[in-house]
Amino acid sequence: MQLIVNGEAKELEARTIQDVINHFGLEGRPVVVEAGGEIITKDQWLDMEVRPLMKIELVHFVGGG
Amino acid sequence: MKKDVWHIGGHELTSRFFIGTGLFPSPYVQKEAIRESGAEVLTFAIRRINLASTEDDSILQHVEGESFRFLPNTSGASTAEEAVRIARLARASGLSDWIKVEISANERTLLPDPLETLKATEILVKEGFTVLPYTSDDPILCKRLEEAGAAAVMPGAAPIGTGLGILNPYNIGLIVEEAKVPIIVDAGLGSVADVAQAMELGVSGVLMNTPVAKAKDPVGMARAMRLAIESGRLSYLSGRISKKRYASASSGQEQFIVK
Repeated sequence: MQLIVNGEAKELEARTIQDVINHFGLEGRPVVVEAGGEIITKDQWLDMEVRPLMKIELVHFVGGG
Repeated sequence: MKKDVWHIGGHELTSRFFIGTGLFPSPYVQKEAIRESGAEVLTFAIRRINLASTEDDSILQHVEGESFRFLPNTSGASTAEEAVRIARLARASGLSDWIKVEISANERTLLPDPLETLKATEILVKEGFTVLPYTSDDPILCKRLEEAGAAAVMPGAAPIGTGLGILNPYNIGLIVEEAKVPIIVDAGLGSVADVAQAMELGVSGVLMNTPVAKAKDPVGMARAMRLAIESGRLSYLSGRISKKRYASASSGQEQFIVK
């Protein structure tokens, strides 16, 4: 289905947030997920289902002052 | 001498150096510079993961296994609402509930928006964050942020990354005199002279990134800054002499041989 991931339209096979994480090869990395404006904690990734055109943000810490 | 510690949000700190993790020439240099700085608190930013790259560009892979306290910032936010959103994302990492509120509304100066900063501070304090707002060097504003529940207040010396030093030492001194929470000078410092001046004005700590990361030798500069902080702090505690208009001889004038 089509999802808006980090501001870009992406076509991918995914049912849950965990599938999205796996799709981008982010397993085991320190990722924070926001979907549909809500923060999705790691223990919710397997259960949280994605919807077509859902806005998903995958963020992490980078260098900064 | 009694150990010179200080506290933020109930957490004891020994180092008075908060160091930023941006702009270093390499992860190795960054790691060494952080070590030389003696810093216990590291700052970070929150950004979208680059989905086009498979490489792990998270900053955390370079500092793992060490006992730092993390201070993520809300850079990129231009409103209180955006800052609150970034703060919540940062806390969801599970690494820290400390947040540096950083809200810039002007791209050229990156100067903080005082009204949005106050608004975001009020909201985040209510949500249980340990809030450290980066703000302008206005004494009344700094007081208002303290009253809103900021755990420390961080007035800028000068715009971010300029290295101009403390543009208004009078204000920084006044802010320190009035404050009941730690004051940390954040942004605009350039050299050890600036840092020593900040510490002599009585601030509790300094936050720097560019002056270390962009120095010709970041590791050497990290050490120089650490020494300047210690030196300036000791000077503040020891009490400098007051300035006089005319000379006063070091050995007295009563027993001159040639008279």
